[in-house]
Amino acid sequence: MKINLNSPKYLVISLCIFISVFFVNNINSAEGGPCKDYGECDEFKYSLNDVESLQRGASTYINYCYGCHSLKYSRWNRVAEDLQIPEDIFFENLVFDKSIKPGDLMVGAMSEESVNWFGVAPPDLTLVSRYKGDDWIYSYLRAYYEDSSKQYGVNNLVYPGTAMPNVLLSLQGNQRLVCKDVPVIARNGGEKRDVSGNTIYQEKCGFLKVEDGTGKLSKEEFDDLIYDLTNFLVYVGEPIKATRERIGWYVVFYFLIFTALSSLLYREYHKDYNK
Amino acid sequence: MSEMAGKLFSWVNSRLPIVNTFERHLSKHPVPSKVNFWYLFGALAAVTLIIQIVSGIWLIMPYSNTEEQAFSSIEYIMRDVDYGWVIRYIHTTGASLFFAVVYLHMFRGLLYGSYQKPKELVWIFGCTIYLAMMAEGFLGYVLPYGQMSYWGAQVIISLFGAIPYIGESLELWVRGDYYISGITVSRFFALHVVALPLVLIALVFLHLVALHEVGAGNPEGVDIEEYLDDDGVPLDSVPFFPYKVLNALVAIGVFMTVFSIIMFFFPEGGGYFIEMANFQEANPLVTPEHIAPVWYYAPFYTMLRAIPDPLGGLIVMAAAVAIFFIVPWLDRSKVASIRYKGIYSKIALTMFGVSFLTLGYLGTVGVTEIRKTMSVICTIIYFSYFLLMPIYTKYEITKEVPKRL
Repeated sequence: MKINLNSPKYLVISLCIFISVFFVNNINSAEGGPCKDYGECDEFKYSLNDVESLQRGASTYINYCYGCHSLKYSRWNRVAEDLQIPEDIFFENLVFDKSIKPGDLMVGAMSEESVNWFGVAPPDLTLVSRYKGDDWIYSYLRAYYEDSSKQYGVNNLVYPGTAMPNVLLSLQGNQRLVCKDVPVIARNGGEKRDVSGNTIYQEKCGFLKVEDGTGKLSKEEFDDLIYDLTNFLVYVGEPIKATRERIGWYVVFYFLIFTALSSLLYREYHKDYNK
Repeated sequence: MSEMAGKLFSWVNSRLPIVNTFERHLSKHPVPSKVNFWYLFGALAAVTLIIQIVSGIWLIMPYSNTEEQAFSSIEYIMRDVDYGWVIRYIHTTGASLFFAVVYLHMFRGLLYGSYQKPKELVWIFGCTIYLAMMAEGFLGYVLPYGQMSYWGAQVIISLFGAIPYIGESLELWVRGDYYISGITVSRFFALHVVALPLVLIALVFLHLVALHEVGAGNPEGVDIEEYLDDDGVPLDSVPFFPYKVLNALVAIGVFMTVFSIIMFFFPEGGGYFIEMANFQEANPLVTPEHIAPVWYYAPFYTMLRAIPDPLGGLIVMAAAVAIFFIVPWLDRSKVASIRYKGIYSKIALTMFGVSFLTLGYLGTVGVTEIRKTMSVICTIIYFSYFLLMPIYTKYEITKEVPKRL
């Protein structure tokens, strides 16, 4: 056996082994996903250039969330500016406390007593998208279900035992855990069938279903609302994210040109001795 | 005008050895004419050090080293300081890439025997730089005062407590308080921005002075000083400036491209460069579900966890770093480069590389039974590479090293 470690080949091979072990291990790690009983979190793809979505998200946040959850690292006028809302319209419609100045931080409107109401103080959410992840938020806000054993009559699949009531209940409607007949999956990954070729069904529970007619919004409309809200939280977690990704292309392009020119120069000089 | 400038230059030069230094260390400094990409990481490490120092200086300006404001001052930098986010991401990305580059630089050393006589001191200064970097990185990670800063510091400082007799007092002395607090943050700040950078710069200076004294190596392990031309310049050499500088410039271009891709598109590095939990302010009452070090400490953290006894773990972890210092005396081979070493050296180095990466991976995930066994095995392989080195390098069959490059 001849091992030639001169080439970077062996490092590359080791790296490949390492990376594959890494991913296999991550898939098999039975540590419980971040979305707990919900299973895999729903994938969320932010669109920070969709200003209208961000505007709707901000409006939902201020109307439904800001009463309890501050955004204390963010400033009012920064949000107005980034979301392209003229400051006068923004302050007239979204800032309810008229003593607030444009440059103030969004420190919240909650009194100190809140700890007694919920058991915990509602956390500041400026950075929630960064420490929980956008997938988590998007799944969490849609995973409430009726549970009469809890203080506020609701529980959550993503965050079992959550202290927060379902603030958006009137919009979403009454969501319950239901049981459904689902096809049994065979070992080969296909649906299991009986001898006559009919799919075999089995009852499984834990599916979320909204009771018809109990909410103001349809399922799609509600999902869109949560999308916009999550999108806004992604924005507020890192206001320069869209700018960063835009500038990034120019910087990378600059360094590619830099690399190309310097390698041409290098080659030119090396003609001196690399004959 | 140019006459004036010329006069001024010679006035300065007769008082300060500008031309001499430039010639000795750059334009006439001979370096091997044929080296490969492995020889570029040293230059990249120097570039990263400069990036860290410059971005660090700008971060100090708006940062607040108090318990109340440390975390919010970082958000202030990210939001309210003009282009503060650029400076901060440069510094966080730079920290990770500094370690990446230094690990590759160290691996190059093992690959081509860059520690062998007469380069022992170059190697030892290098190991000391790495040690200082580890301390510098740890101290810096505490400064944003997020959850991982707090709990990571908790784990590391409590290591001192495992030392018999003096442990507890030492722990208290390092922390400056009975628990991690603003006092800890402000002393770590002083060490991170003044003390250790001075140590690092001094060590880098010594590393380079020693290197220029004994001359740079090459992947063949050929001593280029053996064949000199009439002027006493090695035949297989080129002047450092401009040839090697231009070579490094290309490497810097590639490196900066990678740097900017990470910094502008993946600044958190998937939670490996900036851990997600560190976006939550430090809270002494809530332990994060899973405390993981940043990736560059992960291999050593795994070794710590692999040993059930805290003092034993500490000793193994310290030994894992300390053992690098004696490598020049562990290697008994007649040849320097892996190209001419025998099969055992090649197998040993590959095993070492794989075990190091595996240890790194294991340090970032939770513990299960199988992973625990794996970490013990990898720790054994890691140490075997060094401890068996005197044997396998002495008795294996090596190939003949050519006379010229």
